[in-house]
Amino acid sequence: MSLARTGSAFSAAFISLLIGYTTTAVAVDCPIKVADSSLLTPGEAVVSINPVSPPMQYVDPKSGELKGMRVEVGDAILERLCLKQKKIRVDDFGTMIPGLQAGRWDMINTGVFFTDARIKIIYMVRYENQAIAVSTRPGDAGKFNTVEDLAGKTIGVDIGGYEENKLKQLDQELQAKGLPAIKIAIFNDTNIDYQALKAGQVDANFTIEAVAKEYADRGISQVALKGLYPSPVALAFRNKDFAQAVADTLTKMKADGSYQAIFDKYGKTPWDGPFDVKGPGI
Amino acid sequence: MTMWSWSAFFEYLFSPFLLYGAWTTIWLTVVSALLGLMLGGVVAAARMSGIGWLEKVAFFYVWLMRGTPLLVQLVIIYTGLPQIGIKFEVVTCALLGLALNEAAYLSEIIRGAVQSVGIGQRNAATALGLTKFQAMRDVILPQATRVMLPMLGNSVNGLLKTTSLTSAISMEELLRRTNLLIQERFLTLELFIVASIYYLVMTSAWSLVQNWLERRFGRGFEEEARLENAEQR
Repeated sequence: MSLARTGSAFSAAFISLLIGYTTTAVAVDCPIKVADSSLLTPGEAVVSINPVSPPMQYVDPKSGELKGMRVEVGDAILERLCLKQKKIRVDDFGTMIPGLQAGRWDMINTGVFFTDARIKIIYMVRYENQAIAVSTRPGDAGKFNTVEDLAGKTIGVDIGGYEENKLKQLDQELQAKGLPAIKIAIFNDTNIDYQALKAGQVDANFTIEAVAKEYADRGISQVALKGLYPSPVALAFRNKDFAQAVADTLTKMKADGSYQAIFDKYGKTPWDGPFDVKGPGI
Repeated sequence: MTMWSWSAFFEYLFSPFLLYGAWTTIWLTVVSALLGLMLGGVVAAARMSGIGWLEKVAFFYVWLMRGTPLLVQLVIIYTGLPQIGIKFEVVTCALLGLALNEAAYLSEIIRGAVQSVGIGQRNAATALGLTKFQAMRDVILPQATRVMLPMLGNSVNGLLKTTSLTSAISMEELLRRTNLLIQERFLTLELFIVASIYYLVMTSAWSLVQNWLERRFGRGFEEEARLENAEQR
């Protein structure tokens, strides 16, 4: 490699480190399968990822690279579409959908829960099943046998997600039954959630099952309840045609077994239904 | 994709949910500024005490609190202290973090202002038979207060916005409540502009208080300055 190219590569790597994104190249002889008009930059998909939910999406502490099941699914899809990929790490989930609406990225690959409110404003392709779990400190799981046991307790949850909405809904339901209110502590991300749990500042956390299991496997917490509010999660898009191309690719991946293989590797539950696009007017 | 919505803007502008968040921001600012001012005064006194070990402790405190991010300090107070058996409620953690951090900055402002009072003033106070405490209370501090007020004002103005960092430990102040509402309908611009208006109202109100304080502590000096200017002409 020439000195100029080395310098250029170094500069690109340095800049990407500064602003928190990485780019993935694509084979030269691979014909792009998405129209230029469907993307912010022709031939390139700008993908935002909230890398704070191991093992689904996280930054590998050794390599500094994005890893996880959803990252692998996203890579496999975009590789088949022959698109270059610019992955943008967004620490705050709350900014992801507004960022998609504002045209900052083409796609959100972070396991966005599929809701009626969301498909009024963005396009979504369901591809995974998730549910919510309640995590406690090790040894405390026995204190939470039903969701009623959350009443009157301090429960940690991430801001801006399906989990926060469902916890607020549950709180209303419990209060309607005459039980004391849940003290909801909303944090910016799962890391602080579990740090607060460890420190005894919250009695339990209300997070997706995959994350709850990961922290339990690390010995940080224990899963007390699981399978709450099951719902599909989705990839989210600003452009309908790009969403359709991704849905078609997922269908092909399911047919050739590569979709199932990734889920099997992580022991997660794939989406049973068809890979279709839902969104405004669809 | 959604366009700007005036109806949502006006709905949020008078939202009780956001008004309560603004109230939280106000009392967090006032209480932590007062605590910070008191502690800052103590730290400044320690740094000027002439007692070697005390000066070093005060220097270390200022170095530590100014040299590390407030966000880290808040997370350590909230989740680190319980691990050594010291556990506070989230409100106490937020006030403690803000006040400890603010005190480090305010102590330097106070120290600078006190040291700006001419040595002649101290000598005159001593010549009149005032004790060190009396000289500080009756001669040095009234003059130093006039010097430090603009800087203290800036610091409180900054603190008003810095309170938003406490959302990291789950305090629901104005910006956190704004973010919570954004998730409902994704009207980001409308809500952030409403929040900015709230912050502008709060900082403007503080500016009025600051101007009043500056006028009050500047009494007598305005006349002196006017006479000095007249003499120069």
